[in-house]
Amino acid sequence: MELRRHRAELISRLNVLSRLAQVLVVLIAAGYWSVQVANGAYYRELADHNRLRKRAIDASRGLIFDRHGQPLVENVPSYSLMLDRSRAQDLDRSLELVVSILGTPDQELRKILESHRSTPRFRPITLAEDLSLAELARFEVQRLEYPEFEVATNQLRLYRYAHQTSHILGYLGEVGERELQIAATDPRASYKPGDLVGKKGIELQHERLLRGADGEQVVVVDSRGQTIEKYQDTDRRRDAEAGRNLTLSLDLNLQQQAARLLEGKVGSIVAMDPRTGEILAMASSPAFNPNLFARRIQKEEWRRLIEDPYHPLQNRALQNTYPPGSVFKIVMAVAALEESAIDPSHKVFCRGFSMINDHRYRCWKSAGHGWVNLNDAIKYSCNVYFHQLGQKLDVDTIAHYSRLFGLGSKSGIDLAGEKAGLVPDRAWSRRARGTKWFPGETISVATGQGPLLVTPLQVAVMASVVAMNGRLVTPTFLSRPTSGKLKDLGISPRSLQLTREAMWTVVNDEGTGRSASIDGFEIAGKTGTAQVVRQETWTKNEDLAAEKRDHAWFASFGPFDDPKLTVVVFIEHGGAGSEAAAPLAKAMYEEFVGNLQPHHPG
Amino acid sequence: MKSLSGTFSRITPADEPSRLRRLGNVNWGPLLATLALAMIGVATVRSAASELGPSYAYRQIVWVVVGCLALAVLFRLDYRKLVDLAPALYLFGLSLLVLVLFVGEVRGGAKSWLAIGPFGGQPSEFAKLSTVLMLARYLAGQRRAFLDLRQISVAALIVLVPVVLIAAERDLGTAAMYLPMLAGMLLVAGVRPRMLATFALIGLVSAAGLWTFAMKPYQKTRIVSFLSPEKDPLGAGYQVRQSKIAVGSGQWTGRGYGQGTQSQLRFLPARHTDFIMAVLAEEWGFAGVLVVLALYGGFITSTAGIAARSRDRAGILLVVGLVSTITFHVIYNASMVVGLLPITGIPMPFLSYGGSFTLVNFMATGLILNIDFRRYVNR
Repeated sequence: MELRRHRAELISRLNVLSRLAQVLVVLIAAGYWSVQVANGAYYRELADHNRLRKRAIDASRGLIFDRHGQPLVENVPSYSLMLDRSRAQDLDRSLELVVSILGTPDQELRKILESHRSTPRFRPITLAEDLSLAELARFEVQRLEYPEFEVATNQLRLYRYAHQTSHILGYLGEVGERELQIAATDPRASYKPGDLVGKKGIELQHERLLRGADGEQVVVVDSRGQTIEKYQDTDRRRDAEAGRNLTLSLDLNLQQQAARLLEGKVGSIVAMDPRTGEILAMASSPAFNPNLFARRIQKEEWRRLIEDPYHPLQNRALQNTYPPGSVFKIVMAVAALEESAIDPSHKVFCRGFSMINDHRYRCWKSAGHGWVNLNDAIKYSCNVYFHQLGQKLDVDTIAHYSRLFGLGSKSGIDLAGEKAGLVPDRAWSRRARGTKWFPGETISVATGQGPLLVTPLQVAVMASVVAMNGRLVTPTFLSRPTSGKLKDLGISPRSLQLTREAMWTVVNDEGTGRSASIDGFEIAGKTGTAQVVRQETWTKNEDLAAEKRDHAWFASFGPFDDPKLTVVVFIEHGGAGSEAAAPLAKAMYEEFVGNLQPHHPG
Repeated sequence: MKSLSGTFSRITPADEPSRLRRLGNVNWGPLLATLALAMIGVATVRSAASELGPSYAYRQIVWVVVGCLALAVLFRLDYRKLVDLAPALYLFGLSLLVLVLFVGEVRGGAKSWLAIGPFGGQPSEFAKLSTVLMLARYLAGQRRAFLDLRQISVAALIVLVPVVLIAAERDLGTAAMYLPMLAGMLLVAGVRPRMLATFALIGLVSAAGLWTFAMKPYQKTRIVSFLSPEKDPLGAGYQVRQSKIAVGSGQWTGRGYGQGTQSQLRFLPARHTDFIMAVLAEEWGFAGVLVVLALYGGFITSTAGIAARSRDRAGILLVVGLVSTITFHVIYNASMVVGLLPITGIPMPFLSYGGSFTLVNFMATGLILNIDFRRYVNR
């Protein structure tokens, strides 16, 4: 009974507290009534004439330079026309003024207005970008009569070498949901809707570094929204932190040379320092003009780029994969020597084709090469010799050496979008195709055909392994002072020496790469002519439709004694590597030598 | 009474029809208020954080959904089992508070965030529940008309341990929120008027002492600027003033959803958390404020009713502890936004953006319904 008595007391005290809370809630409601209803008009007035504005101080984006300090991109001021709809007395009249000054069709302006229907009316919206100074002046004159217009100054990215560096530098685009989410968890990345951020290439890769951090400031504005006074209050001002400048490993002269050489062609050129992995040039053709992306890109131009059958937005050096053709013989030679599958002086007779298991595999030279040893087979790119190797080596062994040379996996370059390519083996066949590996396929792989797929960048890494005596390099776009990150693959020096010497004869001893030879700068290389369609007969490439023609490859390094440069040229459907690719590599080395001796006569 | 409880004692979980009838006897008022406020909260967070991207509203939705699940779980468990387990839960809560001191992450100036893989939370919020349970268990065991000094001291100690630990995280706002819980439960459990007066005196003296010796200058300016915000519109009075302009400019019916100049032009600080009421008041006007205050009033009144018909002391005290905390948050936050109290980082229950806070308030609602559901069962 005592318990029940206390219970009643408990509940009465509880009810007192509950009443108290209810009274307080009512009092608070009265407080809101006093502010919102009794004094609402006063506060509405204050809000409408709130003369304080928080203004973002945009951080200026970091610049990008080539290895010699040449600026590749700059920031240029650009003027946008903003419309504050809440200040407009008559929107039709406002639009009329824009039509009369800018000549933009009325319909287009209304479409912009329509797209901002859910934007608060007092938030200025962008009507036009990139106003000329003359147009700017005409709006300024109308200032008093049209207080609804404001001009915003922002920085546009200008890529000085437009197409020539487009795939490397990338471009900016309007901030998307993904970036805004990153910003939500990372206080350093202060994105707000409408900001421009790196979308591709170096601009994307080093976004954090280049961007810096926006600041914020409270300003006093006049009735037209113009800043009349900056509020000197350190508490409420956060300075913008400018983005950091970036120096790339790129050599502008070589890059421009590569881009020029690819003009009118479809393909890619990669030039790399094999000692450090620094990319000196990386061009892909066709290219695009990234300056189009600096402003909100025009729909028409965007559609054209997307629908272009040659996909100019793709960086063919690392985003596309191709059969390597005969440049793969470099890996085959090393694999055979390391596995002691051949004696380099042993000779094989080439009669223009091999008959293996009632199947005919052709050599590129229908008349045949006659008796060839390993060196001859590389020098003349004899397929029959490598068909023999394909019978002696297991596909899993070939795959092992391919991976040692960096094929089949991403090189780890500091640029997004890289493809890994494909190194086929038995496990892959089971997993991806659900069939067992056919021995005949090994014969194809031995000459760089079959399911094997590589990127031009991977071929550059592969060639550099031979140049650097069996050490694997990780390519990079940042300038590194020294090497030290090379990974020793444990390949015997003898195998590499024999392969290297054979590659020297390709260029310097009447081999398939002789069109790349330069006086005074010894180059070693390997040509490749990758079949796009399987041919049973010898058809001349010129007689084939363009999209069925062979891909042309040339992988090389120089100078022979102390390699400083690796050059890979790849031309899509270019035909024979000796004719379509090797001469371009030569031009690259000439540019490189010219750079080394800037005052060379002639 | 005996025969009545005898009848209900035969009910087993398998007895589905009676179960349903019992569900019909539960007062669902707190749940309806919780859900309505949470939905208003998500919509207001979306508008308030529109500059920061829609992800804030999405995350708040996720937390509300998780909160509903947690609410269901806490409804299913028998609250008396939780009271039995209170010492273990209390110690577990304390150990998390100790853990966060060592491995916690600093967020918003306080080292209060405990990350578990991709998830994380603030133990200081969850320890509220274990502390309420512990306190209810202890005070339910004291069956005299009034508590004596020793009992009050023990109760204070139960609360003081987590409060000191949370204060050590430099999260004074959350630490202070444990005191209304203690005050509410002590008052209902029974404190002699004379003792109450003594405590009030001690409180006043220590507040004066704090002001003179312990408060940091910024804390003092906050209070001073609260008293006269017009003196320095960009200084410490800035927030109060901008908040009042936001609230006042809403007038009767508001500026319209997403159209508040004060909120959208970033005049308001912490728009989606502590100042969410200001955004609501600006965009929905006094009409919107009335709806929200009515929902809170309904929540408080219906939970008080649940406490009053609860079958045991522990149940009454548990509801009082949970509701005191939430009510204090509501009263303080609503007053501070309209300039009636100094500004402190106290969010609005069910409305403000925040994971742990939302989750714990939903769990509190679950527990309150649980107590109502089991008011007949005699076991």
